[in-house]
Amino acid sequence: MPKRNNNDMVISVVKSIKDKYDTSELEMIDMEKIEQTEPYNSTLPEKSLSIIKADDFSFYYGSKAGVKNISMEIYPFMVTAIIGPSGCGKSTFLRSINRINDLIPNIHVEGKLFVNNQDIYSRQINLVNLRQQVGMVFQKPNPFPKSIFDNVAYGPRLQGIKKRSVLQQTVEESLQSAALWDEVKDDLKKSALALSGGQQQRLCIARALSTRPKVLLMDEPCSALDPIATSKIEDLIETLKNDYTIVIVTHNMQQAARVSEMAAFFCLGELIEYDLTTKIFSNPSNKQTEDYVTGRFG
Amino acid sequence: MRITLDKFFTVLTGLAVMCMIAALFVILGPMIYRGLGAIFFRGTVEFRKMQLAEFEHGNIEKIKQEDIQTKQARQAVYNIIDKFRNGIDAEKLTDQAKQIDRTFGKELQLQDTERERYQELRGLSRDIRDKLIEAFSSTDIEQIKKHIDFVLRYESDERFRKTSAAQYFKLAHEFAQASEKIDFEKKDLYAGELNELEDIIVKLLGPDPNGNKPVLAQKRYGAARWDQAQKLMHELFWKEQWIEQENSKTLVRIETSRAEQFAGTELEPLFAYIKDNSKKMLNPQITFYWRYFLDDSTPGHYFGGIGPEILGTLFLTLLSMVFVIPFGVISAAYLTECSSEGPVIRVIRMCINTLAGVPSIVFGLFGMAFFVLFFIPFFGGPSQGCILAGSLTLAVLTLPVMIRSSEEAIRTVPQTYKEASLALGASKFVTFVKVTLPAALPGILTGIILSLSRVAGETAPILFTAGIAIGPVPDSIFQKTRTLSYGSWDMAVSDKLAAEVPHNQYGMVVTLVLLILCLNALAIMLRSRVFKKLKGH
Amino acid sequence: MDNIKSEKILKPAVVFEQPLVLTFTQDVKGFLFRYIGSFLLFLFTFTSVFAVLLIFLFVTLEAFPFLTKFGITDFLTSTAWYPEAKDGAEFGAMAIIVGSIYVTAISLVFSVPVGVLASVFLSDIISFKIRGIVKPIIEILAAIPSVAYGFFAVLILAPWLQKNLGFSSGTNALNSSLLLSIMALPTIISVAEDSISASGRELREASYALGATRFETMFKVVIPAAHSGIIAGIVLGMMRAIGETMVVWMASGNAAQIPNPWWDLSQSIRTMTASIAGEMGETAKGSDHYRALFMIGLLLLVMTLMLNLVSEYFLTRARKSLGKV
Repeated sequence: MPKRNNNDMVISVVKSIKDKYDTSELEMIDMEKIEQTEPYNSTLPEKSLSIIKADDFSFYYGSKAGVKNISMEIYPFMVTAIIGPSGCGKSTFLRSINRINDLIPNIHVEGKLFVNNQDIYSRQINLVNLRQQVGMVFQKPNPFPKSIFDNVAYGPRLQGIKKRSVLQQTVEESLQSAALWDEVKDDLKKSALALSGGQQQRLCIARALSTRPKVLLMDEPCSALDPIATSKIEDLIETLKNDYTIVIVTHNMQQAARVSEMAAFFCLGELIEYDLTTKIFSNPSNKQTEDYVTGRFG
Repeated sequence: MRITLDKFFTVLTGLAVMCMIAALFVILGPMIYRGLGAIFFRGTVEFRKMQLAEFEHGNIEKIKQEDIQTKQARQAVYNIIDKFRNGIDAEKLTDQAKQIDRTFGKELQLQDTERERYQELRGLSRDIRDKLIEAFSSTDIEQIKKHIDFVLRYESDERFRKTSAAQYFKLAHEFAQASEKIDFEKKDLYAGELNELEDIIVKLLGPDPNGNKPVLAQKRYGAARWDQAQKLMHELFWKEQWIEQENSKTLVRIETSRAEQFAGTELEPLFAYIKDNSKKMLNPQITFYWRYFLDDSTPGHYFGGIGPEILGTLFLTLLSMVFVIPFGVISAAYLTECSSEGPVIRVIRMCINTLAGVPSIVFGLFGMAFFVLFFIPFFGGPSQGCILAGSLTLAVLTLPVMIRSSEEAIRTVPQTYKEASLALGASKFVTFVKVTLPAALPGILTGIILSLSRVAGETAPILFTAGIAIGPVPDSIFQKTRTLSYGSWDMAVSDKLAAEVPHNQYGMVVTLVLLILCLNALAIMLRSRVFKKLKGH
Repeated sequence: MDNIKSEKILKPAVVFEQPLVLTFTQDVKGFLFRYIGSFLLFLFTFTSVFAVLLIFLFVTLEAFPFLTKFGITDFLTSTAWYPEAKDGAEFGAMAIIVGSIYVTAISLVFSVPVGVLASVFLSDIISFKIRGIVKPIIEILAAIPSVAYGFFAVLILAPWLQKNLGFSSGTNALNSSLLLSIMALPTIISVAEDSISASGRELREASYALGATRFETMFKVVIPAAHSGIIAGIVLGMMRAIGETMVVWMASGNAAQIPNPWWDLSQSIRTMTASIAGEMGETAKGSDHYRALFMIGLLLLVMTLMLNLVSEYFLTRARKSLGKV
């Protein structure tokens, strides 16, 4: 990927953050400094604006590359969409952020992937803490075959919370954040599998929120849902981005345009373009991206 | 032509399947039908008496009353036989005559009879006795008449009135009466037949109530079941003979009526009486003998149930499950979750397949050589077949079944469950225990049930390690035990006594088969439910 | 935890409360837990290997003195089996080995055609629904314990054969191989049916499209394509038959003789499994006879192991060929 100066992008990002939050106390975000900083510096700045940063990251299944040479930064409190044709490695990249891909035998990585300035593929990573703080919602709703309550309480219980009242509160908060509380508050004992597909997916979101993650990874969360359920999830994403950093993989370009602020276009395992969503969809700088978003290929 | 061939082929394949289904019904049908007879049957009063005496089940008062009633009905049978015996049984009659002579002598002594008179009477008595005995053993009707007439001449003699010698005349009268009806040519034949007949009657009605109690349990009671009784009555009415054909080696069976054989004798009414009063004598009632599954049995399973066998099978199978479940589940977990395919895993898999292919009798040999002769004595146990050795052998035998089914169960748990759990920050171990294992549990349970059914049916591995045909209920795992499988084999082949009670024979094997089929049905149901659940998801 | 939101507003840069890096103790603990744990699990898993080794070891150990004392030539080539003779006991197991192979072969003659036809029926001819009924029946056939088959053979089938076919004894080679073939059927069918139905619809459609009848499609296309799986099923069925004890013990008549003439099925024969089962109870531990029986067991073990390897070979081939299709 050609290196180019995309300070414009960074500035707009910071502006959007500044719009949302009172950042007067922050020393860290200094507009002038940023304008002078060379993006994609090979050495990591002491304090980075990004929460996730890939640095020439490649992921291999055996000898076949899932993604290769990805370099990008993902910023906090924004929705970042990863789009691209199927098989382009967008899910692989997403799933390597919380190292859930470790389950697959014969994999290896090259390059670095930082979460909170920490290379998560170094040996000493505490996977438990990483995954607790980088939550994930999967393509198909996958609640455990347990009750609704037990599903949401699973994460907190893993952290050692046993007290019923605390659990109850966490479950309620999580379900509320996932906009499911009003629908299920009367039968928390019901099996999660009895819910509708959209409800199940929101339950999965609530479950992911229950561990208070900082980042929420969403792997095509609406691909198995009907339009109504999809729009509910999209509304939910809209509200969640105030509190969480969301990375969403989607093959639905309208959805990416609707919910995301940043968008990355992947093709054949490579990052083709990464910019503000508006820019990607209105004025992409790469021919391939243009072809894709205008529907000429993929 | 091609079309015909095609149709023929289709029919042929269908036929093959039909063959199998037919085989299943041919094998199971008659076994189950006869086996059910061990539980549902018409029990006679003898059955209830046996239950009361041997196992202390039943209402004492009721059975006593029943016993009295049936005894009344049976008395006639004994009377008829006694009467007939008088006509033919020379030995018994001779004994009676001698007995009378002896009592008469004693009587005279007690009365302090004068010496002369005493000797005269004694001489006379001896004469009468001798003549009687001669008459009893004679086969010439003229001779008999002569002797009897001689005896009866003294009947009106004052000297014998009201003494025990009067019994001579009663005996003489009875004999005269009987001998008139008897064809003396057949006297020996009758004696033999009568013995046969009495044997059958003992089997039918139980031993002579006045005689000694037989030592063997199976001889203490008559026909306990109505079907048995009917069979015996058939034997009683019809004499079975095998007759050689003139120009072939095969024997042909013919049945002759005993009533005709004894036509005209004192015994003739016996057959009609038994025919008419059999129900009164045995009082058959429809019985549901559920205690069959709990009761112990008399030796040879002649009476009683299969309680100890069921208990032994349970001991053995459950203990082997205790050994095999942890190994099976952990192995399966390791093979599915922890390992990547490599040479070591390939070797392990090959060994599991090998283990599954080892013949069960070789497991028996191994169990004897390793567990019985080496392993258990090594830890200070007794060097003999015992439940522990048997269940360990069975555990090794069923290990591959357990591993394979658990592995399959764990594999069918959707990957998404594991991912969801890991994504929430659970470690691999916690994920396995809290998510994978509960989700795989029905599948693992299916595997456990299938291994259980396999273990319960195995006979060859316990032949030398734990099985025994007769013995007490074990009170520790260091003793041998009876099991359903071992017992089925024993009753089918080795136990001659069991062959006389087919209902018990079949009852045992049917219990085993039904137990295993129930376990399998449970497994099939469980599995289809798991599949439905996974599909529905 | 409860006032996270307010904290965030003050500090928009994300704070990860829990450190992403392991502490030293966590690291060591995790390392130990992982490696010791997986080693323990491995040990548990290794029991299967261990069991196989132990079986070989102990059966061989008990049989070895026999080998050194009598040698293997007589054992394999002589038919004189007089193990309890007072002086000069003879251990010629040839008749017994031939007996095992004989009943197995005859049972396969019955079960292979029926098994293959039935698996074709199940995979290609009937609807899914009926299959759901027939499959459990096959499972039931497989589940019935061998002692029950033996019971049937000796108490029901044997008298029937004696009465209706005029055999001098109902417990003979025919009886036992009939039962063995029924017992081998489920194994053959399940493996063969898997490979037949896995051989792909494209194959069938291609054949049907050329105007072939079902019979031709099956015999010229599908069965040749699935032959590895079918052979594997037959070998597995063979293993079941040769290793079966109770049925042959109860139903074969147990006379150690080579059937002569070979086609006369009404003769009684004796198999290796039945010899072990029948005679082991009467031998003294450590006697020559005892060791000879272990020798038979060892031979049986080696035979089934070899069959197992053959079946594995065909199963892998079947899997590979299906992968190509």
